[in-house]
Amino acid sequence: YHGIFSLPLAFGGYHLAQLLQDETEHIKCFVEGKDLTCFWEERNNLHHQYTFTYSYENKNKMACAVSSLLASNKTIFFCKLPKTPFFTTLDVQVLRDGRMLYTRSLNAENFLFLDPPRNLTVMSSGKEGQLNVSWLPPPLKYMDDSMIYEVRYAVEGSNMGKVEVVKVSTMLVLLGLQSDTRYKVWVRVKPDGVAYKGYWSAWTEPVFGVTPPSDVDPLIVLLVLFIGLILCLLSLTVILSHHKFLLKKLWPDIPTPEHKFPGLFTVYKGDFKEWMSQNNGSMWGRSVHVYTEELPSLLEVLSEVSRTSHDTSQREEEEEKESESSDSGLTDRWRDPPHAHWLMEQLRALQENPESRCQSSLLQSHDTYVTLNQGDNEQQVDDVFEETLPLQTLFTTTGTSSLSTSHSDLGSLQQSSGSGRLSSQSSFEYPNHTWAPKGPGYAYMAVADSGVSMDYRPMSSSRIAELGRHRMYTNDYKNEICPHKWPLSGQYIKSGSESCTGPVW
Amino acid sequence: ISGSTVIVKVFAITVFICLFRSGVSPLRPICDLRVLEHFIREAQDSEVIMRGCRGGCGAMKSYFVPLTSVDFAFWEHIDVHEQAVEVQTGLSLLVQALSTAMKAVSNSRLASALDNNISNIHSLSQILSTVLPDDSAPASTQSQEVSSLPELLQVQSSFLRGKVRLLLSAAPACQRQNS
Repeated sequence: YHGIFSLPLAFGGYHLAQLLQDETEHIKCFVEGKDLTCFWEERNNLHHQYTFTYSYENKNKMACAVSSLLASNKTIFFCKLPKTPFFTTLDVQVLRDGRMLYTRSLNAENFLFLDPPRNLTVMSSGKEGQLNVSWLPPPLKYMDDSMIYEVRYAVEGSNMGKVEVVKVSTMLVLLGLQSDTRYKVWVRVKPDGVAYKGYWSAWTEPVFGVTPPSDVDPLIVLLVLFIGLILCLLSLTVILSHHKFLLKKLWPDIPTPEHKFPGLFTVYKGDFKEWMSQNNGSMWGRSVHVYTEELPSLLEVLSEVSRTSHDTSQREEEEEKESESSDSGLTDRWRDPPHAHWLMEQLRALQENPESRCQSSLLQSHDTYVTLNQGDNEQQVDDVFEETLPLQTLFTTTGTSSLSTSHSDLGSLQQSSGSGRLSSQSSFEYPNHTWAPKGPGYAYMAVADSGVSMDYRPMSSSRIAELGRHRMYTNDYKNEICPHKWPLSGQYIKSGSESCTGPVW
Repeated sequence: ISGSTVIVKVFAITVFICLFRSGVSPLRPICDLRVLEHFIREAQDSEVIMRGCRGGCGAMKSYFVPLTSVDFAFWEHIDVHEQAVEVQTGLSLLVQALSTAMKAVSNSRLASALDNNISNIHSLSQILSTVLPDDSAPASTQSQEVSSLPELLQVQSSFLRGKVRLLLSAAPACQRQNS
C-alpha cells in the first residue's frame, strides 16, 4: 500500500507534489492519517541501495522499508513509518549504499496533510444573494477543534473566484452574491497551527448552488404606485381649490383704477367727460379730491407794476423760457423777455427785506389773490384771513410792490405762484375752479400735485403750512427763485440752479 | 510562586473563558482548549526568543524532562487516569527544569518568558486536577535527559501540544453531551 503514491497522477498525490515543490530539504515528509511518509527523488540510471532510519527520544535507530516509484526521468523513493510518534523530535536519515546521504530532524505533528472535507453541500438560504455552505471535517480524532478551512466560490464558467477563511466552524453563509446565478463552491482544510501544523488539503470536488432570483416584490410595486396616485390626487385637489390664489401669485393682476370709477369703462367706454357729467352729483365729493390736487391755483393780478430795470441778463430770459409746467399745461411762456429781469430785481429786493413783507392777503375760501403793489415799501395787505391763509408769498419789485399769494388750506394743495412779468391785468382764481390762463401777460405757475415734478423758473413758491398757521416766507435767490417742496404733495420742484435754502420757519 | 497566585490566575482564566466564549461549545468553561492553546503559544514564543538570544542565554546544562512522544494507537488504550498521572508528573518535572534554567539566564526577555511558562504550567496543573483528580499514586514515570535550554523548551512545547492537550480533550468531564 503506497498511499497517495499508489497513483502518481492521482489528484491528491499530484497536489502534494506541487505543495512540496518549495521544500528545500532533500527529505520531504508528510503525515497522512496517523502515519508519517518521507520521500526523496533520485535520477534514474543509478542503481543504489537506499536505507532509511529514524530515531527519537534517544532511542535506538529503527529502519523503514523503502519503496520506489518510477516517473519519467526520476525515481521517487519513499518510506512510511509504521508507528509514527508524535510530539517528539524525529531524526531521519537516508543512507545510500551504507553511507549517509540525507538527514533531517522534524516533529511529525507539524507536517499533517489532511484529507479534504466531506459532504460539501450548497443550499439557497432564501434570501437574495446568499448561499448556505456546509461540510464535514475529515475523520481525524483529536483534531476537530484545531482545523481551519478555506471556501472558494466562483460564478459557473468564470475563473475569478473569491476565498473565505473559516475557523473551526464547518459552515459558512456566502453574502453579496449575484441573484439568480449558478455558483461553484470548493472547500479545503488545514491544521490551525497551534497544536498541529501542516499543508493545505486538496480541494473538494466542486458543488453547485443557485442563488434565488431577486425579488421585486409585486406587492411593493403596487403599493408604491398606489401611494403615488394618492399623492397626485391630493396635490391636484389642493391646486384646484386654491387655484385663484395660486393664479394670483403666479400671474398677478395688473391693477386698474376701475373700481374707483364705477361705470367709466363699462358704460362710457372710457369717455371721461361723459362719465363726469353723468356722475357729477353723486361723485362730487370724490372728484373734488381728485381734482383739487391737480387744479392749479389762479392768480388775480390787481394792479400793474411798472418796470424799471433791465439788469437781468438775457440768461434769465432764456431760463424762463425753458421752464414749463407740462402737467397742468397752464404755464405760459414768457412773452416779454425784457420784463423778466426787471422782475428779478424786485424779487431780489424783497429778499433783502424778508421780514417786512410778511403778509397774507385774504381771499375767499378757495380763492387766492396776488397783489402787486407799486412803489410801496410797505406791504399792502388785503384782508387777511388767518384761518384760511396759511401762508403767502411775497414778491416785491424794486419799488415796494409785493406780490402775495395766499392759499386755501385744509390740506388741499394748490399753490401757484405767479411771477414773472406783469403786463396786463388778469385775474387768477384759485383752486376749485377750472383755471384758465389768461393772456401771456402773466406768467404763472400751476402746481399740480404729487407725482409731478416741474421746473419753475424765477418763480417763488410757497410752502403750504399746516392748518391754522400762517407763514411768510421768502426764498433765497441767487438768480432765480428757488422752488420749494410742496409739503402736501411732497413734491420737489426742481430748478436748474443751485440748491436753495429756505427760510426758517 | 505561591499557590494563592496560581489560584487567582486559574480563577482569572476561568472568568476570561466565561467572558470570551464563542458560544459554540457546550463544554464547561475550564474544558475550553483555548486556554491551553494560549499556553502553547507562549511556550512557542519562548522558543523563538531562545533562537534569537545572543547573550546570557543560559549555560549548557542537562535537565530531566518528561517523555513527550505519543503513539495514538497506544495512547488510546491507556486509561484516562493513568494519562492524568503521567501528565501531572511530567508537568512537575518541567517546572523544576524551567526554574533551574531561569536561574542561569541573564537575558531579561528570555527570563521573563521562562517565568511566564512556569506560571502557565502551574495553572495547567490546577485545571487538570479540577477536571481529573488524580487519586492514583504517581507511577514511575519515565523521563529523558536533554542537554541544553533550546531542547528543554522544545520538550515543553511538545508536551503541552501532545499529552496535555489529548488528556484535556479526552477528559470525561469535558466530553460533549451530544457527541
